[in-house]
Amino acid sequence: MSNKSAIVVNALVKSVMTQEGVLTILNGIDLDVKQGESIAILGPSGSGKSTLLGLLAALDAPTGGDIYLDGESLGALDEEGKAALRKEKVSFIFQSFMLVDTLNALENVMLPAELAGIKDARGKAKQMLDRVGLTHRLTHFPHQLSGGEQQRVAIARAFICEPKVLFADEPTGNLDGANSDKITQMLFSMNKESDTTLVLVTHDLILASRCQRQFMMEDGVLSESTNSRPDITDEVR
Amino acid sequence: MALMLAWRFFKRELFQGQLLLIIFAITLAVLAVTGLASVSDRLQVAIEGQASQFIAADRIIQSPREIDPALLAIANKAGLTQTYVLEFNSMAYAGDKFQLVKVRAVEEGYPLKGQIELSTGQAQGLPKRGSLWFETRLAGLLSQPEHIEIGHANFTLSAEITRLPDAGFNLFASSPVVLMRMADVAKTGVIQPGSRVTYLYQFAGNASQLTAFEMQVKPLLNTSQRWIDVTSGDSPIANAVKRAEQFLLLACLLGIALACAAIGIAAQRYCQRHYDVVAMLKTFGASARQIRILFSVHLLLVTSLGVVLGLVLGIGLDKVISLFLPAEIASYSPSLLRPVLLGTATGLISALMFSAYPLLRLLSIPPLRVIQRQLESANFGMWLHLLLSLMAMGLLGYLYSGQLAMTLTVVLTVLLLGVLLSLLGFLMIKLGHGIGMKTTNPMQLALAGLRRRAKQNAVQLVGFSCALVLLLTILALRQDLLEEWQQQLPDNAPNYFLVNIAPEQKQGVEDYLFEYIDEVPELYPVIRGRLTQINGEETLTKKQVEAGESGRLGIGRELNLTWREQLPKNNQILEGHFNQKPNDVSVESGVAERLALKVGDELTFTIDNQTVSVIIASIRDVHWENLQPNFFMIFTRDTLSSFASTSILSFRLENDKQQVIVGLLRLFPTVSVIDVGAMIAQLRQIIDQVSVSLSLVLGLVIMASALVMMAQTEAGMASRQRELAVLRTFGASGWLLKWATGLEFALLGFIAGVLAVWVSEFSLYLLKTQVFELNVYMHWPWWGIAPLSGAVLVGLLGLWRCRQLLNHSCSELLKGH
Repeated sequence: MSNKSAIVVNALVKSVMTQEGVLTILNGIDLDVKQGESIAILGPSGSGKSTLLGLLAALDAPTGGDIYLDGESLGALDEEGKAALRKEKVSFIFQSFMLVDTLNALENVMLPAELAGIKDARGKAKQMLDRVGLTHRLTHFPHQLSGGEQQRVAIARAFICEPKVLFADEPTGNLDGANSDKITQMLFSMNKESDTTLVLVTHDLILASRCQRQFMMEDGVLSESTNSRPDITDEVR
Repeated sequence: MALMLAWRFFKRELFQGQLLLIIFAITLAVLAVTGLASVSDRLQVAIEGQASQFIAADRIIQSPREIDPALLAIANKAGLTQTYVLEFNSMAYAGDKFQLVKVRAVEEGYPLKGQIELSTGQAQGLPKRGSLWFETRLAGLLSQPEHIEIGHANFTLSAEITRLPDAGFNLFASSPVVLMRMADVAKTGVIQPGSRVTYLYQFAGNASQLTAFEMQVKPLLNTSQRWIDVTSGDSPIANAVKRAEQFLLLACLLGIALACAAIGIAAQRYCQRHYDVVAMLKTFGASARQIRILFSVHLLLVTSLGVVLGLVLGIGLDKVISLFLPAEIASYSPSLLRPVLLGTATGLISALMFSAYPLLRLLSIPPLRVIQRQLESANFGMWLHLLLSLMAMGLLGYLYSGQLAMTLTVVLTVLLLGVLLSLLGFLMIKLGHGIGMKTTNPMQLALAGLRRRAKQNAVQLVGFSCALVLLLTILALRQDLLEEWQQQLPDNAPNYFLVNIAPEQKQGVEDYLFEYIDEVPELYPVIRGRLTQINGEETLTKKQVEAGESGRLGIGRELNLTWREQLPKNNQILEGHFNQKPNDVSVESGVAERLALKVGDELTFTIDNQTVSVIIASIRDVHWENLQPNFFMIFTRDTLSSFASTSILSFRLENDKQQVIVGLLRLFPTVSVIDVGAMIAQLRQIIDQVSVSLSLVLGLVIMASALVMMAQTEAGMASRQRELAVLRTFGASGWLLKWATGLEFALLGFIAGVLAVWVSEFSLYLLKTQVFELNVYMHWPWWGIAPLSGAVLVGLLGLWRCRQLLNHSCSELLKGH
């Protein structure tokens, strides 16, 4: 972990118009995440976790406040600029895997690399799938893979472009215990190897505890948990 | 990169069957247009080829003077064969007897189409110089002479003509025809400057030569020159061809509209399927340009495959159809260029324009959808989609038919139909309000489902109803046209006409025929007269009206008038009552329309130098196709019986009784006999050919309808998937869900069937009265069959799709697989 900030958030506000009036979802969020750090955002459903994730990942625009991703202000970027930023620096893992069901495992992993114009996307994708232990599943389609295998494909896809920041939205939410453990293990070890900043949104306290810092989101306000265990790593499990 | 991705997506989705619906829809549209265009081109060429034997050529320019040689040079350049006929009236003398004859002077090459038939069989060549071929009754009128004089020349009568190919169907041609060599005209000395003559320039060639010639020459003709083809005039052949062409055109337009609807629905589903992919691509940083290229190319690949398949199948269809056609028609093979171009244009225009709006929405999917799954694309307003869709339909319709009015009518009808059905459907479904939400009984579950998805169901209802409406309309029109043709040409249709029966011959002719045929038809008296005034205003010729002279438009020639005590069979009173008072007259509806006549108007005629005034008592519909003596004006006995008249009648004689005609002519040599048996046979053949194309059209419309229904079921099922999963998760039995879904679709199908019957009865009324001039009647059996078959068909489709879904596990369903 370096001292350089990967994500800086100042007084972030997100509100939406509803029939009943203005609804504030995020209310003055401040956050500083260092490069290579892993953080978990916990909180009840509807507390604004996913909204925050969407804003940090430049998928959505805030109502107020600033976000800096790897030193770049998101507010200064238009949609194309944000897309370019995501392509270069950001990656994702989702609860529902979000694999393209018409493409096979290899092609799914190749996709971000091809979009980013990386040469030998195929070779690289094979390597990534090898790292997640799916060499024998390259030509399988999502519906031919188990939930755990699908998420492993998603992890391989997430790391293929060597992102600076990885956003994971309930990555084990759709998996059973054994698979969940495997995926967690894999996620953290790959994260460590590639010195990626990890922002994890989850309900899973055990998963959250693997992160260096934990944050609690409640009614649109983010607060850091006091029982933070900054150096918790693989030996816990 | 985007190109490669597009190709990969295309390849994968194709093999996984996800593109089947949209490709099938595009293929069907292209197949319909290519197949129908090539088959109808082939039929049209064949029909015209046969019908052209009735004008002895493919095209004729009629002119009172010699035409500019430049026009003939154009025909030469176009590769057409040509000849010309000179027609004039002259007196023929045989000793002390004389008779007005119509001389047709012809040269080598005549007739370009068809054959001259003589009493001794089919003619070889033309009359030798110095001799004439003559119509049989001329010999009777001049007491069987061997020679006659015309002008200063003396001619030998060498052969009796029994049929001239271009004699036309004019029952009232009063002068007998003689055929003369063109080279003999000069020595008669009859043609002087200012003489009344008609030049008939006849041309024959293939379709493309004729079209090229027509396009070049037609604009160069002056007002005294007339362009004639097989569809000119009121001949039964022309009418049959015109009507068949109109029907094919209409059916194709409706077929295109249906296929477009299928493409529209399929394109929407295609785009919806890709919402997540686009969101995901955007999340991983794909630029707008990359996504635009990816999906444009993807759609282009899908379209191209659909177009190629459609073209191959369309051409294949044409080849298969030609196997079923009689050899002589199958041998006509018009160029495939037009059908292929039309098919390609149809595929490209319909796929791209109908997909434009869904694609626009697809490209606007926000990346945030990867987290907030309920997020949809931006809404650009339905009007844009509607506008693009109608434009596509209009453009295609116009490309295909070249007829703006018919195209606009179809597009507007489809628009009105859509709006009307949406409103009706929404209303009908809303009426089900108040039905409970108990989930134990499939019927209640189905009704509740219908009500909950009222808006979406209304859209689906439009799809189902449109498919059914078009299907019913085409089905009914095809049936009616075939039946009507069959009625007009029953097996006992008259095949002979007797014309110019003098008053003193009436009884004799009747008695003679009575010996040989069971039922002697009635004689119609024929009196020549000229319409001179309408409501006291002098009548004018068209030219005079165009020159701005004051007065009413008249007919400009003598008319054949008759009197009847009863309305002739096959005539139908449209307005007023058939002749009741002594000075009543009944007028044919076409003339009434042309001259703006109405019941109660006073018409003044000059007959035999006397003035006769009558009042229009009725307007009458006459079916000119039926081979009966038909008249524009029918008077009462009181008005006309005192004038000198000849008579006309038609009857049926079996082919093996030809000697009856020979005997009749021997007894009554001045009576003209017109044999229409050949024409009937021709008409029958045309009808048979048209029947083939009607069946083909019907088949394609059924396929298009089925596709629209399947596409709609597919669209409906997608939204039910999650609900099914939830109900299933909460323990609803497969049986309950299957029946509830089946019933919900069946109810939709039932309502669609009811609406479809209403709308198709209405559209049939419009089409029959405005376009096809067919009898209007209600199709009562449909009122039961359409809703029931709609319910069964749509219900089964729903059940089938539901079964597929229920085979998945709950978690799969919930995950959206």
